[in-house]
This record gives sequence, C-alpha cells and structure tokens, in this order.
Amino acid sequence: MNKLGIYIHIPFCESKCIYCDFASFCCAEQEKDKYFQFLRKEIERCDIRGREVDTIYIGGGTPSCVEEGYLEEIIFTLKENYIFSKDMEISIECNPNSIDFEKLKKYNEFGINRISFGVQSLHDNALKTIGRLHTSEMALQAIKMAKKAGFNNINADLLIGLPNSTIGGLCEDAEKLINAGVTHISAYMLQVEEGAKLFSLVKSGKLILPSDDESVSQYDALVSFLEKRGFSRYEISNFALENFECKHNLKYWSGSEYLGFGLSAHSYLGNIRQANSRNFMDYYKGKISKEILTNEDMVEEKIMLGLRCRLGFSLKELSVLGYDITKNQNFQNFVDKGILKVEKGIVRLKPEYYGTSNYIIANLLP
Amino acid sequence: MDKLERTRNFCIVAHIDHGKSTLADRLIERTGTLAKRDMQAQLLDSMELEREKGITIKLTPTRMKYNYNGEEYILNLIDTPGHVDFTYEVSRSLQACEGAILIVDASQGVEAQTLANAYLAIDNNLEILPVINKIDLPSARPEEVKAEIEDIIGVPAGHAPCISAKDGTNIDSVLEMIVKEFPSPKGDKEGKLKCLIFDSYYDNFKGAICFVRVVDGRVKQGDKILMMQTGKTYEVTEVGYFVPNMKSCEALEAGDVGYIAASIKTISDVAVGDTITHLNAPCDNALAGYKKVQPVVYCGVFPVDGAKYNELKDALEKLKLNDASLEYQPEVSDALGFGFRCGFLGLLHLEIITERIEREFNLDIITTAPSVYYKVHKTNGSVIEISNPSDLPSPVEIEYIEEPVVKANIFTPPEYVGAVMELCQNKRGEYKGLTYLDKSRVRVDYVLPLGEIVYDFFDSLKSRTKGYASFDYSMAGFARSELVRVDVLLNGEKCDALSLIVHKDDAYSRGRVLTEKLKKIIPRQLFEVPIQAAIGNKIIARETISAMRKDVLAKCYGGDITRKRKLLEKQKEGKKRMRRIGSVEIPSEAFMTILKLDNDE
Repeated sequence: MNKLGIYIHIPFCESKCIYCDFASFCCAEQEKDKYFQFLRKEIERCDIRGREVDTIYIGGGTPSCVEEGYLEEIIFTLKENYIFSKDMEISIECNPNSIDFEKLKKYNEFGINRISFGVQSLHDNALKTIGRLHTSEMALQAIKMAKKAGFNNINADLLIGLPNSTIGGLCEDAEKLINAGVTHISAYMLQVEEGAKLFSLVKSGKLILPSDDESVSQYDALVSFLEKRGFSRYEISNFALENFECKHNLKYWSGSEYLGFGLSAHSYLGNIRQANSRNFMDYYKGKISKEILTNEDMVEEKIMLGLRCRLGFSLKELSVLGYDITKNQNFQNFVDKGILKVEKGIVRLKPEYYGTSNYIIANLLP
Repeated sequence: MDKLERTRNFCIVAHIDHGKSTLADRLIERTGTLAKRDMQAQLLDSMELEREKGITIKLTPTRMKYNYNGEEYILNLIDTPGHVDFTYEVSRSLQACEGAILIVDASQGVEAQTLANAYLAIDNNLEILPVINKIDLPSARPEEVKAEIEDIIGVPAGHAPCISAKDGTNIDSVLEMIVKEFPSPKGDKEGKLKCLIFDSYYDNFKGAICFVRVVDGRVKQGDKILMMQTGKTYEVTEVGYFVPNMKSCEALEAGDVGYIAASIKTISDVAVGDTITHLNAPCDNALAGYKKVQPVVYCGVFPVDGAKYNELKDALEKLKLNDASLEYQPEVSDALGFGFRCGFLGLLHLEIITERIEREFNLDIITTAPSVYYKVHKTNGSVIEISNPSDLPSPVEIEYIEEPVVKANIFTPPEYVGAVMELCQNKRGEYKGLTYLDKSRVRVDYVLPLGEIVYDFFDSLKSRTKGYASFDYSMAGFARSELVRVDVLLNGEKCDALSLIVHKDDAYSRGRVLTEKLKKIIPRQLFEVPIQAAIGNKIIARETISAMRKDVLAKCYGGDITRKRKLLEKQKEGKKRMRRIGSVEIPSEAFMTILKLDNDE
C-alpha cells in the first residue's frame, strides 16, 4: 500500500496579510487550546489509523505562532496512531518574526526536518505594504538560525508581482536567500482573491500592481536565474536543489493519497476528496464536504496537475480512465505547435508555456 | 336610427410619443368599456415589451359604447403603432376605418410621422379629426399647433379639441366629435358577405384568429367561409368583438369590426388583406387587399451555443405565428455555424424580435451586422438579389450594384439644419429640398441609401439635434452605387460573419474602426493574432493582438484540488461561448460590436 501524506492545518496568525484568503484567524489562547484538543481527537478518530505515513506538513496560518507544546502533542498523537516511515519528511511553515533559536531547536527534537519560511520579499517597503510583521533582515537571520539549529532542508516563499517589484529586485532576493542557505524556493504570483483586503485596495486604485505581462516577465527571469543556481523547476511555482523537492507537495500533484486534519483541511483517499469546514463552529460539529470523483474528474485532475509539474502525465493513465486525449484536436494542435511534448508516452508542457498553462489545460479537458 | 348609422370605425394616428395609447385608454375608461379596476396604463399594449418600451407594436381593436343625444353609438377604435418600422401595419388598419384621429402634441407640434400618418389617412379617404394633446404641459402652445396643422398638412384644425389624455381633460369633446365628424360605415347587411382581414393573431385554444371589418353581409357561427385569395375554406366556430378582450357574439354585420375564429391551424393560412366571403354565396369581387410586406433589414441570427439551433428554430416559428412580417431562412456560416438569415421591417423590429427571442425563449443569440438587400448586376447579364455580404460575387463578376434608397423627411428646429444636412451628406444623401414650415420648424428632404439608415442614422440624428429632430422615410426604389465588401481576416483567415458591404469611399475608415474595435474585444491568444480588414486581396487596415502571457492558477494549497478543478471546468464552459475562426477564439460579443461602430470616429 502506498505511503500516506498528512496535512495539519494551524489556522492562527498574529496578523492577517492583505493578500490572504485562507482559513486563518488572530485568536485568543483559549480558542487555540480548544482547537488543539479537537484536532487531537480528530486524528485519533480517523478510521484508517495504522497506515504508514512518510510525509507530514504542518501549514497554516502560521504554525510557528503557537506554543511549541501544541505541536509536540500533535506529532506525538500522530506517532501513536500511524506508522512513521524511516524516510519521514516533516515540514512546518514559519514566519521569520515568530521564531527564535530555542523554538527551532525544539522543532528539530520533535522530528521536524524541513522548514518553510514565509519570506515573500526581501524589500522592507514591500513587506510593510502587504502587512508582513518582519523585515528582510529578520528573514535572513531566521534562515541562518534554522541552519544552526540543525535544519538542512529549508524553503523560502517568494511573491512575484508585488507593488513596485522589479526583475532585478526579485533576482537579488533569490540570490540573498540562496546565500543564506535555502535549498528550495516557492515563488507564487500574487493573486488578487476576492475575499482578501488586497482586492478592495486594488479595485479602489489605492494599490497599483504590476501588469500581468510584467509579472510574467519577472517569473520568467526568476526561472532562468534559479536554474543557473542549480534550482530546477519541478512544479510551476517550486524550485529545488537536487533531492530537496518537497515530497509532501509532490503527493498532491501526483495524485497520491493524503489525509488532512484541522480547519479547512483536505483529504484524498481512494477516489474521494473530502474537506473539513473552514468555519470553527461547523468544524467542531464535524461538518465535511465530500466529493466522489468520476473518471472524468480524475482525468481532469491528472491533466491539470501533470502539466503544472515536471512529471507530466502519461497517455496510458488517461486511457485507463477512458479518455484518449490524442483524439482531442486541441491536443494535436498543441503537439504540432511544440507547446506540448510527448516522450515515451509521457506528456509535458513546454516550460515557456507554464505562464499560460490554464488556457492550455482548459483546452485539453474532456 | 339603424345600427349602421350608429356605428363609427376609427383609428388614432400620431407621431411616436404624442399620446396615442394614453388617449385610447381614456376613451375606453370614459365609455365604461372596462371597469376602473381592470384598467392598467396603456392596456392595449399587451406585450410586456410594448409596455416597457412605451410603444405599440401590434394593432388592437376595441369596441366601445357611447350615449349621445339619447342614442347609443358603437365606436370601434383601432390603435395603431407609431414607429416608422410599422407604417405598414398602420396603413392596414386605415382600410378598416372611416375616420382617423390625428393626435398632435401641443408643445412639439407636427412631426415627421404626424405628416406621414396624416398623408396615409388622406390617401385612404379617411375623415381626419385633429386633436391637440398634452395641453397640461407648461410649454403647450395649442393655437400655434393648430395653425401648423392647417399650414403643413392642410387639414382644418380650428375645431380641434384641446385635451390632456393624461389628466382626462376634454375627453368628452373627443367622443362627441367622433360621432359628429366621422361618417358612419356604408354597407349592405343583406348583401353577400365581404370581410376584410386587417390583422391576425394566434390563440393557443382557438387557432388563428382573423381580425375583420365586415363590409357587406352578415357572418355567424356555423357559416361556411371562403378565403378568396388563398382559396381555403373553413367553418366559423366563433365570431365576436373586442372589449378589448375577445367577447363572442351572435353575428357580425356590415360595418362591424370584430374577429372570426374558424379552427384555422396555422397563422400562415390567414393572409392579411384577404377577403372572407360565404362559400355557398360568394361575393363577386374581392377587396383590393394589401401589398405583400417586404423586409428591409436583414441579419444573421445564431445561437451562442451551437447545440441550441433547434430551440432557436422553434422560437422563430412561434414568433412568426403572430408576426407575419418576420421572415427567416436557414443560413450556415463558417464562423457561427447553423443559424438563420432573418428579414425585418426595420431596426426597431429587429431589436424587438431579438429581444423577445432572448427573453421569452431564454436563448442567447448572436446577431450579425444588419444589412439591406442589394441588386447585383453581373457581367454575364444576370441580376441577383443578395442580403448577406458573403453572397456577394467576386468583383470581376460584377458589372454594377444597386442599393435600396429611401425618401427621407426630417423635421428639425432651424438651428440644427446645418447639422442635419451635414449628417445626410456624410451618409451619401442626395439633397431634395428645404421647407421652412414656420419659425421653429424646418423640413429637410433627402434621398438616402437605406443601408446608411439601418446603420446608425437614428442615433446620429438624435445626438446632433439634441433629440429635437424627427424622421420618417418611405422606400424609393434602387440606385446604382459604388459598393465593396470589406472582409475581416483573423490570423489570415476570413471570418464570414464579420463581412460588411459599404460604399468604397467609406471602406478605409470602416475597416480601421472595425479592426480597432476587434482588437479591444478579442482576448489575447497563445500566439500573436493579426486582425486585417481587406477588400478582395487588398489589405486596408491592420491591428495586432499580442500573445497572451499570463493565465495560470494559484498554488494548489493544502491539497485543495477540487477548487482548482472547478475553476478550470468553468473556464472550459466559457469556451462554449467562444467561436473559432481557424485557430483564433472569438467571444460572441465580437459579432455584435460591428453593429455599434461609431461612424464619427
């Protein structure tokens, strides 16, 4: 049986960033206590206990802003209910401002072996504009501290297309991060989500973002810069030195099984996708939404996820699900134009077209 | 007094918005035809769209009773449409009447359609009763308007009632005048049956209903009737009149206006203008009847979702049931797939029909640019008529082309004469004359190509005269013209649905505006897309849409794959609204934009 991934959601933050529309809240300690109690119960109640697990990802919110004791308890509870694989990857998301050397040492002792820092930018003006609580200096310090505390697998998140950002500035940030010792960079294009504060700021003209074309130019420049520094793109937004790819995230993209615990967490088992509520009340009541995937849904996911990754998708796995994509005229068109590459039955998107992958994927769906 | 002598058949004609339907409402109310609680504003306008737009489209007859000098009179009112597109319907109703009330707005005075409709009534030998409406307005100038009527139309107006249909002022004097001024119908109720069908309507239960004016004789339930033009025979199932809803009665006699139902299955079996007589005792001669109505504006109508072709076909069939003037035939476009080429009486008619398809049948449709019909004289001596730009033969096969022209009368305050003339010159008009009607009103006469009028003439005229000018036209045959077809090429491929026929002098500017508009509306594609306008092989304008660079989903966070998939599915659904020309995707709206080219650019 395949090894499972487990996602743990920590929905707490010290403050909300202007672009965020995730389930995260600035809450009192009591609420946190209640949450972690319930989270442990949720893990214990799960009916597929005993499976082997090889990745755990503690995300948020900001996991580093809660007392480390909570996290220790959660990892302990997981260990009691699941078999931990020898090559276990345990990741945690941290903000540079809510971390110190002692905390990082403890994380290491709990068995956490991968740290992901929400750096976003190394330009202090930009950090302030988007509501981050740390400075660029704090971010670089945090990375160095993590190394000192024993971590050798460190990611930094960067945002592309921030206000006043430039190609040069972005590559400069990447250079500094690499020098500080990161082994992995996630670079996401800033999305203006309707639920986020950014939406109204942009709509009212109070904040001006670079155009789509500029963002894509930044992205393209970053990709070639990182490739030169040995960071290869294994997913549309993810770059790693060899063997430092995030095993947990790869599970999402390759269609492997995973469990999610906590507010708004998602699970994928068999052909069922399931999500907890993003509202505390409903979450505590155990409200979930469930979707049983049809073959067509699975085909769509394989195309969508595969083309965003270096992995691609195989013609065979689609035809097993009943979709002969080679009969799709758009597919042939894209192959003829060199937008798609087919090698040994594996279909991959040519890297130049990652920026317009949506358009291409939508044209390939059954 | 004989019933015939106590009957008055009349219609109301006016320029649009001068208050026809409001006066009709008042007359119905004052004669007690309907209880007050059943009254609703403009009750003769039964279509939702009619009430909303404040216009009358269909004819609606009503029978009213009115006591005058101790006698009960029967007044049959036929409300008529005021818009120029429906002039044809007005002229039909006039043949069923002996008198016409000519309403003139007390502040606006005589307008283009006042004149056109008055002449129609005079041509039909109707007695004309001018009525000055809207005297409640502060700007009302009834005495001047009376003088205008006498000067411009040449109808005595000294005795014209001055009323306010809105407030109900002086409605009784109108009723009195109807009785006193209008002649009673002539006719022989003992004679052989002779009825004029002046309109028809499809009722789901009773079948096609004929709206008739009985000229001679008497018709009742059970009679065997013959339609003299179509030769079809039926048995009458019901006769009656309108109050304004249908009310059955024992019989209709000479002089009456009413309806005949005879289990007629399709409306196309009822030819408006036909004469109904008894099968066993037919009259000697049919009535003169009407000319067949000829559409003047054509456009392609296609479903946005190609799979809904049959639904569109059903919708058109149903609309045709009550609108004999709508014409359509199947059309196939490379760009838009299967659809219909439809013919309309004018732009308003086009707008009404397309809006009804979308509203009443819930169908999303694409309409192509409106076009008129052209007579193409080919070098081989043959002449073909085309209404679809893509049917135009190649230039080498064309000897010359003729386009339809109209006689246009424009009424305008003197300060806008220059603007109006400039517009007409720009629209390739041929100046015919200028008449100063009084100190505030000038009539400008032009012969204009119909193709220019269907394009954006109304809007330009309104904007150049701040809405003060009014306009009417009548068809005036064909004129030879230097016309060319402008094609649009997307990425080098011709898009038939975007082709236009224009005068060669306008081709460059239209081509330029067209490519600019398309550049704005066609989304960026994976590759660069040139948009070209061409006459034959000659490129006259070009724009380029640069390649799309960003269309990418946010990160797949925390394993929420479902949301991402849903977003992509939505994007895929959106593609159904897109049309493909070669490898270029075009949103449906693009086809509409060429309807809205602003010629002043």
